Amino acid sequence: MNGLAEKVKYWNPYLGGALLGLLLFLSIFVTSHGLGASGGVNRIAVAVEDLVVPEHVDKTPYIAKMAGGDRDPLAHWLVWEVAGIMLGGFVSGLLRGRVKVQTYHGPQISPHSRWAYAFVGGTLMGYGARMARGCTSGQGLSGGAVMSVGSWAFMFAIFAGGYGLAWFVRRLWQPEA
Amino acid sequence: MNTRHLPEALGATVLLLASATLAFHGQPDLEQKWEFLAPKFEPLLAEREVYIDPAELLHLMNDDYIHLVIYDVRSESDWNEFHLVDSTLVALENLKLERDRLLSLPETAVVVVVSNDEMLATGAWKRLMAVAKPNAYILEGGLNLWLNIYGVPDEETGGHGKASLGKPDGTLRHPFKLALGDRHAAAQPDEHHLQHREYTPKVKLLKKIAKAGGCD
Amino acid sequence: MAPFDLVSLLGVTGSYFIYLAIGFAFGFILESSGFGDSRQLAAQFYFRELRVVKVMFTAIVVAMILIFWSTALGLLDYDQIWVSPTYLWPGIAGGLIMGIGFIIGGYCPGTSLVSAATLKLDGIFFLLGNITGMVIFGETAGLINTFWNSGYFGTFTLPELLHLETGIVVVLVTCLALGMFAGFEWIRGLIYGRAK
Repeated sequence: MNGLAEKVKYWNPYLGGALLGLLLFLSIFVTSHGLGASGGVNRIAVAVEDLVVPEHVDKTPYIAKMAGGDRDPLAHWLVWEVAGIMLGGFVSGLLRGRVKVQTYHGPQISPHSRWAYAFVGGTLMGYGARMARGCTSGQGLSGGAVMSVGSWAFMFAIFAGGYGLAWFVRRLWQPEA
Repeated sequence: MNTRHLPEALGATVLLLASATLAFHGQPDLEQKWEFLAPKFEPLLAEREVYIDPAELLHLMNDDYIHLVIYDVRSESDWNEFHLVDSTLVALENLKLERDRLLSLPETAVVVVVSNDEMLATGAWKRLMAVAKPNAYILEGGLNLWLNIYGVPDEETGGHGKASLGKPDGTLRHPFKLALGDRHAAAQPDEHHLQHREYTPKVKLLKKIAKAGGCD
Repeated sequence: MAPFDLVSLLGVTGSYFIYLAIGFAFGFILESSGFGDSRQLAAQFYFRELRVVKVMFTAIVVAMILIFWSTALGLLDYDQIWVSPTYLWPGIAGGLIMGIGFIIGGYCPGTSLVSAATLKLDGIFFLLGNITGMVIFGETAGLINTFWNSGYFGTFTLPELLHLETGIVVVLVTCLALGMFAGFEWIRGLIYGRAK
């Protein structure tokens, strides 16, 4: 299942990057914000929490800012952007026959293990994204384009973390040596 | 020559050229920024829409709802002689340092720029617009007019009488005997014990652009 | 001058529609570039694939050049652009954690949305983990409050840090990005040989 041969069907990354850069510019130009993702996911998470345990939400300061009392965490542009991202990803996949229930995984591990690793990685990502006040889209791309020092430090930290651990978890991704 | 990488080489060259020419062109300084903004904001000055009467400023000073910021752009010696209570002394060149403060003002904020007459304050107002476009106004007639109205008792100036406003030259024309700064009565006039002065209110509260940004 | 006050121009619903459209384009570009595939993303960290750096840094450089040309020409008001404030230590710590999460999970929040949208199960599990991690953060935020607010520099930009003109920094960043592309390609060649 080493589908790297499929890369022929993906756009040239420089082209994709240039288009993304243009989109980022237009976003800032029209709305004053760059792109964002994790903030929207966070708000959805908070909205779910608010449904299930509203009194707890009211009492926890970090979340109450977004959803305490009458506040609607979903009434925020990030949520709409997240909805758009999923829609755009879906349509793009649909057009190229890539909408399929399947699990992408490295050749040395099984789909089931992959699910577990994805969940763990996702949890770390979610926690880290809140810690850093953004993810690669918001802090990385957008903050990077407007030259925020914190964003650049953040980006280098991500690459350091990823490359630092890569060798130790190579079994997850690399073909057998 | 390896033509396989030609598109990439071209792209790289384009980016380098675009960034190099940008560095050459430079970013606009405050004066240039004002020029970009002038078509929209010059009329406000010409139509006197942003000049507010001293009585309106007094009203703002006493309004608890309004978050009032008064910038005094005069010299330090003038400031020491007399300045309004809760005003901030800022030199013209240092207005750009107020950027962070200005950009984080609440919706209820009003900025008023004062000088002795209006000239220095008008220049400062233009700079403020170039720096951060706050909801800012200029004290009409300057502090000279203010002091004519909310007047200092004759004792304080030794009977000098009202300042002439006909030929504004930017100087403070109330020769105080004592430099009391904001401890003069006129620094914070008591609105309730004064004769009501008619004025055309010009201050409007602006709705702020929602500034929640990034991924937060 | 741009940017615009969308809500007063289009109303709240209208402004939401703009963000929906922006998100749509974002998701479309990501998926088309292969970012819905965790194998493509993770391969970056083994130098087998260089999509991540190429897309990210091309995007940043292109956007940067467009942004600062617009401000130079008076089309865009730099003061109205949102520049995320720098909280240095939590930013770095969060970045390290995210890097680890990236190599274990194979996605980042944005790309996991795209992956989940194309029904990839690993993407969906990642997203669920993402939400879990965020909830955990929300619950424990009080404990690390001091750290989370440490290293605050306000809006702090590279030109301010380096005491260089904006335009010069743009040139430097462009050179950095191009250098990275060349460098990474060279490393890839070293590890995997010329045969691609």
